[in-house]
Amino acid sequence: MARQIFEWDYSQYPGATTYPHVFSPIQIGDLVIPNRIKYAATEDNLNTHDGYVTDEDVAYITSRAKGVAGGICTMQGVYMDERRYGQGYVGQAAAWDDKFIPGLKRLADAIHGERAVANYQLMHCGRVGGVETPVCEGPSYLPQRLRLFKPVHEMSHEEVELSIQQHIDAARRGIEAGFDMMEISGIVGYLISNFLSSYTNRRSDEYGGDIHARCKFMTDIIKGVRKEIGPDIPLIIRICAWEQLDDVGGNTQEESMIVYQEAEKAGVDSISVTVGWQESIVPVISRDIDFGSWLYQAERAKQHITIPVSMAYRLFHADMADQAIADGKIDYWENCRPQIADPLMPLKHLEGREEDIRWCVACNVCLARLFRDAPMTCYINPLCAHEHDPEYYPQPAKTKKTVFVAGGGPAGLECAWVAADRGHEVHVYERRDKLGGTIIDAGKAPYNDDELYHIIEFHKAQCDKRGVEFHLGEEVTAELLEEELPDTLVVAAGSTVRTPTFFGGDRDNVITLHDALYETKPVGDHVVVWGNRKPAIGTALALAKRGKKVTLVGKDRTVGKDINPSFRWRYNIFLRQNGVVSYNDCDIEQVLDGQAILVTYDGHRVPVKCDTVVLGERDPNPTLKAAAQDNSIELYVIGDAVVPRGLSGAVHDGYKTGLRI
Amino acid sequence: MAQVQDKAVEGVKQPKPFDAEMEIAKLWAKCQAAQDEIRRAFYCSREAGIQRAGDDADPTAIALKAWEVRGKDAAKTFFPRINLAKGNLVEEIGKLYVNAWRNQGAVVKLKKSENPDEVFIVWERCPWPTAAKNYGAPMAEDVAGCDLMLQTTIADVALFINRRLKIETLKAIPRGEGTCVRRLWLEH
Repeated sequence: MARQIFEWDYSQYPGATTYPHVFSPIQIGDLVIPNRIKYAATEDNLNTHDGYVTDEDVAYITSRAKGVAGGICTMQGVYMDERRYGQGYVGQAAAWDDKFIPGLKRLADAIHGERAVANYQLMHCGRVGGVETPVCEGPSYLPQRLRLFKPVHEMSHEEVELSIQQHIDAARRGIEAGFDMMEISGIVGYLISNFLSSYTNRRSDEYGGDIHARCKFMTDIIKGVRKEIGPDIPLIIRICAWEQLDDVGGNTQEESMIVYQEAEKAGVDSISVTVGWQESIVPVISRDIDFGSWLYQAERAKQHITIPVSMAYRLFHADMADQAIADGKIDYWENCRPQIADPLMPLKHLEGREEDIRWCVACNVCLARLFRDAPMTCYINPLCAHEHDPEYYPQPAKTKKTVFVAGGGPAGLECAWVAADRGHEVHVYERRDKLGGTIIDAGKAPYNDDELYHIIEFHKAQCDKRGVEFHLGEEVTAELLEEELPDTLVVAAGSTVRTPTFFGGDRDNVITLHDALYETKPVGDHVVVWGNRKPAIGTALALAKRGKKVTLVGKDRTVGKDINPSFRWRYNIFLRQNGVVSYNDCDIEQVLDGQAILVTYDGHRVPVKCDTVVLGERDPNPTLKAAAQDNSIELYVIGDAVVPRGLSGAVHDGYKTGLRI
Repeated sequence: MAQVQDKAVEGVKQPKPFDAEMEIAKLWAKCQAAQDEIRRAFYCSREAGIQRAGDDADPTAIALKAWEVRGKDAAKTFFPRINLAKGNLVEEIGKLYVNAWRNQGAVVKLKKSENPDEVFIVWERCPWPTAAKNYGAPMAEDVAGCDLMLQTTIADVALFINRRLKIETLKAIPRGEGTCVRRLWLEH
């Protein structure tokens, strides 16, 4: 008999009409979910090192539960072994003992407090676990491909059976904590996926062999958990439809579908379709992957099983999800990073407030942080992982001020809307006739970098709603300050292109990255780009796409030092694929006719063919500081105007400054 | 060569004219010095291990352990470059060995066999026996060490990709045989 935990009536909301499929109910097992939205489990590294749930994690999950508007909210996966081999993240929650139940209950209660369906996840990290132990564990010993991960301890038969029981015991604790649904994670290199894969499972006992035998560990867990939690609790499993491990002998895509069928037979009520392992050499979720690229895998899964199917990867917008549901490719919509960037993203879709959504830019800084034992953070959401901290929320200003913001880029706009939200009168001056600052230029780079501009659209909408006045095509000048005498000046004027320090830097063929990107000056066939950080890389790639032969020259020891490691590897590949040669730890010494002489950090000189030099190094724009000080105007300098950095530095600076004015 | 015609940016001295031959010569000398430093570091560490182990320890056993550790680490550098879905596996692994030794200053080539599951790696020149001589290590240790390193690497690679890869030494320079020849093959 189907049951529903919370009643939701969406008929009064515009989203119910715009996204009729997303906001229609779905039955998973015996449970009816009011809509087809699921927040997918996400580690946040906010819990204690020994696995106890913290206030920070409860606040984090509460905001995501509110966002799903009555849908499913999944807590982060718990590890279930006291030895902690299953722990893949320093702040991962644990469930290896009943003592963890009260903390887990806080999460379930928090989700229920937002009238959402509480989903509990079991996640033994297997080959990528053991984050604080000398080894991790897996079905077979084989060396790690990535040095980051621990040596693998091959599990004995007894240890395999113990692990199955630990999954079952941990499942019971979840139900006792009050969760409504149960999910098992078997993705990206975690323990269940290790048993499933021909790459990592070479056992000769009953848990190894052909694909059916390799499924036994998974199906034993499913059957055991099902027996423990009873028939009424919906049970989901997350498994790869394609491991992307063909280069090391992983499962074929056909074998993956056999896994799906075995999981269904064993008793799961739904499957979440994923793609790729952490060890895969193929990108899956970075920004360069087009939206909806993996839907064909979900569609393929639906052809092999009869239970509902969901998918998360690069499916950010409700209209995409709605269409995918309408087309029968998925049954419900999962999302993870979009709700890290904006916890209320689905709710805003429901309320017809799409313009208020802070869109995820798929930069993967969240993952980069987790893999380096740091608490979750988000590139474009400063509040992420600070939901528990009242000081991170805008409070009405004690004194209303007139605030001039010099610069309509991401730092200035973020500051502007937050300051206006607190009651200040805010004026944004932007010398260009369009808002966006450096992001307009950054969007000229290939590989979907135009997605970055969504943050500006978000900013503009927030500013408009709060009465921020824009002065486009106008600059803040010393005279203006003297005349208007605002209470506060926020200098968010970004950066300037660094004046060349090399010989021949005054030649006509030495141009700025703006000249190159906007094609306002001619660019020859052989181009040397000065700089090896993101703006220079983006420019180099844009030029390479135009057929230029590009050489990057920068003083940093590695290319893209300002890009987080979980995305930097993509840029390295883009550069290689586009034939861009990088000279790191180098500088330009001189520009001659048809060539540039580069100099290494230790004085060696290298000639490269060069028709044009593009200046891609930046300095902070120091404008207006003196004028503000001369007029006793409260002064803040933010974003690239302090130190040229990425979008994240700008947004975080802007938000925090907006709170302080 | 292009002439310098431009004026300097303020504070920047005019560079000397570019001399390609001199730059290449300097870089080449540095490359060779860096290659020598690899062997110097190895034999100093070997000596440290022997001294630390005391008089009763077997120096060869310590040296072989060091070669084994090098072999394991070499395997780790191979893993990200292995792709079973691309090319001939044995040839691809053979190329990894070749490149590893070229980086150390050896003259080494890959020789194909009529059998697609077999290749020969031929060292026409290798700087390691000379280094062994310079540091007073026996030639027998050099052969055994190099062999152990190759064996350790291939064992880990074979384990990693679940294939029965083997390597054997057919000829060795330190044995006075002129070249080192290793046979690398895939067993079915």
